Formats: sequence, structure tokens, C-alpha cells
Amino acid sequence: MNFLNRFTDPVYCLMRLIVGLVFACHGGQKLLGFPGGGHGGAHGLMLLGAIIELVGGFLIAFGLATRLAAFISSGEMAVAYFMVHAAGKALAQAGSPIDAFFPIINKGELAVVLCWVFFFMVFYGPGRWSIDALIGKRKAAAPAATAT
Amino acid sequence: MFACHGGQKILGFPSSERGLATSPLGLTAGWIELTCGLLVAVGLLTRLAAFIASGEMAVAYFLTSFSGTTLNHAPTVLERLLPILNKGELPVVFCFVFLLILFHGPGRWSIDGLICGRSATKSTT
Repeated sequence: MNFLNRFTDPVYCLMRLIVGLVFACHGGQKLLGFPGGGHGGAHGLMLLGAIIELVGGFLIAFGLATRLAAFISSGEMAVAYFMVHAAGKALAQAGSPIDAFFPIINKGELAVVLCWVFFFMVFYGPGRWSIDALIGKRKAAAPAATAT
Repeated sequence: MFACHGGQKILGFPSSERGLATSPLGLTAGWIELTCGLLVAVGLLTRLAAFIASGEMAVAYFLTSFSGTTLNHAPTVLERLLPILNKGELPVVFCFVFLLILFHGPGRWSIDGLICGRSATKSTT
């Protein structure tokens, strides 16, 4: 099934776009109040998180400074998971050790998945279908043009 | 983690308030989640497992989240379109991550990679 590898770049671009926009929605909810249904205005650490989510989400979606944005976003999701979900703050009652351990119970699944997907992006890079790749191509073409 | 959802539906572990799956659709989904989750995790038959899992997540998103069954009221247009409002973020993210795994392949650090490496060295000797 190795023929599928030919389509890795467009599919990676699509995945980055969707995951980045899902992430940016969380920042938009906290900062801009859109989409609605959030917990209201954010202060302090939550405000920092909201800015990272909104800006990092868009940067990842369009593939600009991808590795840097993915690194920061991945770190933020790890903090969010351990401060909120593993600490049991997303649950209605106090969490038992099992609740704290299983993301499926402490409602931290999205944070865990996003954390690891962004961590993968740090190492995989922006891919060929991204703004980073366009900039890199222009830079590579410019010295070649002056040399000829 | 994907396997945990199957475990909840089939084995009752980790425990959930919704109990074991009883409907045929729920049972199918549970088995797919349990087996494909473990296969993708260890990297055995990765592409096939990721393909099935990705498809199942797309079905799950459109059958439950997109149609608004996860909400207590009829969904508005905005609530249908935005996963953050219809609680469908996890299926969306899973669907596209498995789609990438389908195209990207198992990678070098996987059981598939080990098997391929062994057969490649055998054919050269």
C-alpha cells in the first residue's frame, strides 16, 4: 500500500488545517466570545492560553512558523492537561486516582491528542503544502537566480 | 486512548455511566475502536486499521455530533457546523489524524516496520 505515500503532503496539509482551526476555535471562544458557549472572559494564565490557542492554531493551520507554533501549542496542551484534567478540575465531584489517570474519564482526551499531534508536527515540520515551504522555495530560488 | 472507547463499550473498562453497548451499531463501533486502536498503537497492519478507524470516526461525527444528538436541544446551523459547539471535536481530530496515518504509513518504529525490515534483509541474502 506504499502508493498512498504519494498523497501524504496534501493529506498532512488537510490535517494541519482542520486540527489548527479546531484549536484556534478554543482561543476564539476565550478571547473573542466566538464561537459562543465558553466560560466567559479569560484572565491570567487562561488569557495566555487563549492567545496561544488562537495565534498558534492559525499559524499551524496555514503552516507559518509551523515548528515553533506547534512546540508552544504542544507545551500549552500538556500544561492544560495536567493543571486542569489530571487535577480533576473538569469533573463535577472530586476525582479518584483512576479518574485522574484515564483521559477518557477526566475529559482531557482532546488535550492529550492535541498535545501529541502538535509534538509530532514539531519533528515532522510544515510539509510541502504550507506557507513555510513557499517561503523556503523563494529563498532557495533567489540566490540561484542571481548566480545565473 | 482510542482503544479505551472500545473498552468502555465492550468490556466495561474504563467504567462509564453509559454502560456497555447493546445496539449492533454500537457494538461494531466498540470492536473497531478496541482492535484498531491497539493495532494503530503498536503499528501492526497500521494503514488498514487507520483506514477503518478514520471511516468510523467520520460516521460517528455525522451520525451523532453533526446531527445534534449529543446536545439536549435541536441544533442550530452554527452548532451543526462548528465541532466546538456540538461536542464533536474529538471525532474530527481522530478522523483526520487517522487519515494522515493511512497515507503516511506505519513509520520505521513499528511492528510493520520490523516485519518489512526482516523480509527486506531476507530477500537480499
